[in-house]
Amino acid sequence: MKHTEREMQSLREEVRQMWKQVLSQLEKAKQSFLNNDVELALEIISREKRVDAFELKIDSDCENYIALYSPVAVDLRLVLSLIKISSTLERIGDFAAGIARHVIDDGCNKAETVLIEELQIEKMFDTLTGMLSDGFVALESENTRISGKILAKDAEVDEIYNNAIDVLTNCLTANPASIRYGLKLLLVIRKLERIGDHCSNIIEEIVFYVDAKVLKHNGRKGDENRIVD
Amino acid sequence: MIEAKNIDFYYGSFHALKNISMTMEAHTVTAFIGPSGCGKSTFLRLFNRMNDLIDGIRLTGECLVQGANIYGKSVQVDELRKTVGMVFQKPNPFPKSIFENVAYGLRVNNLGDKKFIAQQVEESLIAAALWDEVKDKLKKSAFELSGGQQQRLCIARALAVSPAVLLMDEPASALDPISTSKIEELIHQLKKDYTIVIVTHNMQQAARVSDKTGFFMLGELVEFSETKKMFLNPEKKQTQNYITGRFG
Amino acid sequence: MNKESSQRTAFIIFRILGIIVVSILLWILGFIIYNGMGVISWEFLTAAPAEGMTAGGIFPAIVGTLCLVAGSMIFAFPVGVMSAIYTNEYAGNGWIVKFIRVMTNNLGSIPSIVFGLFGMSLFVNTLGFGDSILAGSLTLGLLALPIVIRTTEEALKAVPSSYRTGSRALGASKLQTISRVILPAAFPNITTGLILSIGRVSGETAPILFTVAAYFLPKLPTGIFDQVMALPYHLYVIATSGTDIEASRPVAYGTALVLIAIVLLMNLLAAFLRRHFSNKWRAER
Repeated sequence: MKHTEREMQSLREEVRQMWKQVLSQLEKAKQSFLNNDVELALEIISREKRVDAFELKIDSDCENYIALYSPVAVDLRLVLSLIKISSTLERIGDFAAGIARHVIDDGCNKAETVLIEELQIEKMFDTLTGMLSDGFVALESENTRISGKILAKDAEVDEIYNNAIDVLTNCLTANPASIRYGLKLLLVIRKLERIGDHCSNIIEEIVFYVDAKVLKHNGRKGDENRIVD
Repeated sequence: MIEAKNIDFYYGSFHALKNISMTMEAHTVTAFIGPSGCGKSTFLRLFNRMNDLIDGIRLTGECLVQGANIYGKSVQVDELRKTVGMVFQKPNPFPKSIFENVAYGLRVNNLGDKKFIAQQVEESLIAAALWDEVKDKLKKSAFELSGGQQQRLCIARALAVSPAVLLMDEPASALDPISTSKIEELIHQLKKDYTIVIVTHNMQQAARVSDKTGFFMLGELVEFSETKKMFLNPEKKQTQNYITGRFG
Repeated sequence: MNKESSQRTAFIIFRILGIIVVSILLWILGFIIYNGMGVISWEFLTAAPAEGMTAGGIFPAIVGTLCLVAGSMIFAFPVGVMSAIYTNEYAGNGWIVKFIRVMTNNLGSIPSIVFGLFGMSLFVNTLGFGDSILAGSLTLGLLALPIVIRTTEEALKAVPSSYRTGSRALGASKLQTISRVILPAAFPNITTGLILSIGRVSGETAPILFTVAAYFLPKLPTGIFDQVMALPYHLYVIATSGTDIEASRPVAYGTALVLIAIVLLMNLLAAFLRRHFSNKWRAER
């Protein structure tokens, strides 16, 4: 293996580590949210710094790679997409930590299981971790055939989010006393929806890297027919 | 502007170019890249028939410059070489004064009187971005110039006979980085008046100066596309392997 | 022996050999100057030989030698340079050119007396020039030809081929390329060939023996069909078959000195020309 390829491998390894870290942050956020586990929430917040550190490290390594090896073609696309993927992963990490802060904050700990279930928050979490781990597989295998499936999952998340507004309106009209709680919940759901968008961005970057196609801003309903060069 | 149709070229029994077709637009820079011995220089030399100087060559296919077949029977090779100028890898000024170097093409082709020649020399040196550096020593030997200046002198020499096409065979490969960037800047400026074809070993240079890039390998034109596309998303696996350094 | 000391030993040997060669040369030169200086005078250089060549001067011989050198060069230089241009620039590398090259080299190693006999049979007898400057010059020219061709070819080969391609790429024809770029660039080295052949020609005795040289002719030539005296032959005559060999010995030394001085002067002149031209457009190397 050439030394440039070794550099590239170590760069990918860093992204892989960061990815696992963010995925575990998201899973822990789910656990701590559903179980009101403040301990776990604190752990998430303390680990947030490690995700940030990964982003800085990957950024500077990518800069060095470009400066020293002037990559072109597939190498250039990989480095460019890794830069964006790492900053997107960092955002997802931020949201996970944001959810953990909600858990610590007083509002959420009187969770009403029925409402949570009605809002399909658990399903949202599961869909998101699924997207994130599918994206990981796509990058590892350099195979973008599942990109449609991932983008479709984002649509599911969006749908849950849109429904949530109605569900919450109904619930809060009946119980004006829990408006604060409800608004907090909406913020969490909003964060989850954003995570979904970020996961879509990641898969778009992977498609750019593997197929050199730009999916962004082309309507992202996972419709492969609308993918344009 | 320049068109090659189904070119096959042989050195003796060696098949140097295999069925190559491509079109180069006027006022563009086209770069040829590829490993040594891939045929890119041979292909470049077709367009001013410099390959004719070698024994035992054979060519089939058509080569059009400004719509005319340059291998046609009525073509005067010396006339063709006025239309299609060439700059070589190593700066090759003649052992003459700076002025006489630039005037050479005009003199051998009997172009213009003394006044015209003087004016043409000045304009060519200006176009080659060398005038300010040499205007006070036109009578000095060309060998007193630095390597980069010599190469720009050779460009001025080629420009003096008012060509339409400028062929450059690795024009910066013997120069230091500063001279190289001057040559590259010059190529950018000359593009508006000339059609430029450049062979280079330096892929970054091809990326910096050219509009379209052709990748040659083993006598074949593997890929010919917009330079931007070539360096972001080449179509062929071979191209990708070569430009990313995974060759071989 | 280690590297350092073997190197030192080698250099010492080379240096000693070099010094020996140079000192032999200086010794010969010194010997001739010492013995010849005495007779050198204005009269010696400008008067004809007198008293059975034991007195007087050598003026006719000086003029004769100069005539022969000039005549042979007028013939050998253009022919030699042009044939070198042909073999090097035009003829390619076929078997004919290789054959011509081999023959040229052979021509250079033929003994000069053979040239003399050939010149006598062709120029003097067959063509009917008689013993004359013309016959002698042509014979000497033949002798000089291989040297001129060889050195010119080397000079042309030393011209970078990038000059040729550069010139052709500007639309110059082959002839224009040769006359405007190649020859001027090769000129300093061609001059070297000229010097070498002048040196060779002015010292030769055998080729002029049967073609031009006069034993004793105290007058100057009036045309190219006249006989002349020549320095090397004059030297040979007074050293071996003069009327009084002992008496003419100082004259012989003086003649030798003048001959050497002429060759030396021509060398200096050519070296000056060579430097002048190569300095003007200092080559890349």
